[in-house]
Amino acid sequence: METALHVENLAKSYKRRIRKPGLLGAFQSMFSAKTEELKAVKGISFSIKRGERVGLIGENGAGKSTTLKMLTGIIVPTSGNLEVLGVVPWKERRKLALNIGVVFGQRPQLLWDIPVQETFRLLKAMYHIPDEVYQITYKEAVRRLGLEPLLRTPVRLLSLGQRMRCDLAAALLHAPAVAFLDEPTIGLDLTVKEQVREYIRDMQKQFGTTLLITTHDLKDITEVCDRLLLLDKGTLLFDGSLKAFEKRFANESRIVAELHQPATPASIKKLSAEIKRHGGRVAISDGHRLILEYRKEGAAPALTQILLKRYKVADLTLEKTDIETIVTKIYRKPIADKMKP
Amino acid sequence: MRPLQQPLSLSASLNGYASFFVRCMKASFAYRATVITNLATTAIFYAITIMVWRQVYSQNSNLTISSSQMFIYLLLAGCGNYALGGMVVEFRIGNRIRTGLIATDLLKPVDFQISQGIQALSDGLFNGSLSIVVFLLGFCVFKEQMFPASLQALGLSILSFLLGLVVMYGIGFVFVQGAFYTYSGYGIFAARNALQGTFSGVFAPLSFYPPVLKTVAEWLPYRHTIYTPISIYMGWAKDNDAYSLILQQAAWAVGLLLLGRFLMKYALKQLEIQGG
Repeated sequence: METALHVENLAKSYKRRIRKPGLLGAFQSMFSAKTEELKAVKGISFSIKRGERVGLIGENGAGKSTTLKMLTGIIVPTSGNLEVLGVVPWKERRKLALNIGVVFGQRPQLLWDIPVQETFRLLKAMYHIPDEVYQITYKEAVRRLGLEPLLRTPVRLLSLGQRMRCDLAAALLHAPAVAFLDEPTIGLDLTVKEQVREYIRDMQKQFGTTLLITTHDLKDITEVCDRLLLLDKGTLLFDGSLKAFEKRFANESRIVAELHQPATPASIKKLSAEIKRHGGRVAISDGHRLILEYRKEGAAPALTQILLKRYKVADLTLEKTDIETIVTKIYRKPIADKMKP
Repeated sequence: MRPLQQPLSLSASLNGYASFFVRCMKASFAYRATVITNLATTAIFYAITIMVWRQVYSQNSNLTISSSQMFIYLLLAGCGNYALGGMVVEFRIGNRIRTGLIATDLLKPVDFQISQGIQALSDGLFNGSLSIVVFLLGFCVFKEQMFPASLQALGLSILSFLLGLVVMYGIGFVFVQGAFYTYSGYGIFAARNALQGTFSGVFAPLSFYPPVLKTVAEWLPYRHTIYTPISIYMGWAKDNDAYSLILQQAAWAVGLLLLGRFLMKYALKQLEIQGG
């Protein structure tokens, strides 16, 4: 399959002016030229094939948005190579722009003072979208994202969620070959989030769009993407399929029990000692709620029996760790341990 | 999989720019209250300027321009300044740099300088069309004295006014390059505005300036935004002089646009779109 994006040792550093705290500090900073270098992206490499659906995740400040800005050509990398659809983005920005669609969740591309449909008409002319493509993308967006009541409303009167839906429609109107979606579900309620994910999935299927999505809502990734890039402090920690990610990190399962009576500290101590032999541990003991975690495959029956023998259990569930929990755990680990399963 | 879109033809690009111009004009109607407030403020400001000049004329009858000619000049300068004032290039682009909204402009398959120029031209023409009301009111007061020096003068002054808008945009575009480094367009806007006010001839014809200031004004592009179109309209610059001024305007317009383009090429290389 043809390569859509190729990134090699990509790095970006910013210079930040050092500002002193307080009012006097702010005044002094006006005459000070002291700066510090901030390395936002530290030499990352990856390739994405055409038609792939890739999620880019990481904590705040991990370098996701900076990476996206370099890939779209609006900022110039400090070092490294990158090509998107055979073009060096920052050198041939306008040529690339015809074939990419971008949503920056916090920076709408809609014209602020006039109705939404005016932006759509402008984009049709600006991208020279053929009628047969526009008929599909426009109608689909209006129907699937519920835009009909919003079309004649000036953008400045829309809520954040309404604006996001319109902005997403605007970004995909020309059926771009590559879509960069930076937090496409920010500010949306749960039902609309679901609608948006479905719309992105179907548009991707219909036009074979290559997707690169950054988000803090991991459901965007699990429901739309099949590959994951995990960035941390500018470094690429993981690049692989969602299944590979789960296989590598989701090796811990949980037994969640609701007890009739709260567990006493003494009973927890005894329980801990007993389940340790089966590879289990008490993760949380919070009044009526008791959570056991274990890594050993096939340990669940023995641990459940011990639990039922020691306590009167009102309810019991077995849980496999989901991606959200795994990612949260990775974020919490010290940098040296992050990639340890 | 859809085949990749090839670069647009000239006619397709022009169609895109035309569509953008229409949307910019529509957006100009969005803030009626602002339009009315601006008009009222400008009217008050010019009423005061005219009162000051009346006082000057009442005390001195040896001035080279008659009082009615002076009042017509000030009226036209007011109209021109109102049109130019709507462009606020540094303020608009500077604000987009500061908030990072410039990212959405740079992601469009259009030339940034041309599309921002269309926005500025649309703003200038919108304000200019409102100025026509004041211009027509001038006919009620000054009657035949308001007529242009000749039909040729009328045609050339309209061309000169349009070139003045391009010169104004060129100046603004060069100035706003500073905002890529300072991340604020306000100081730059204020500086340009002060220079424009001083050297464009908006408060008085340049012939009234002290020799030093007049020489400086002649070396700068600002006079081509106000003084040049009016001096052609009023017949102070005729035939070859008028053509020469228009050529100078065109040269300034091209030079400033090229300089702005050159500066932006470097400014974009160190652009930071702040925040996520």
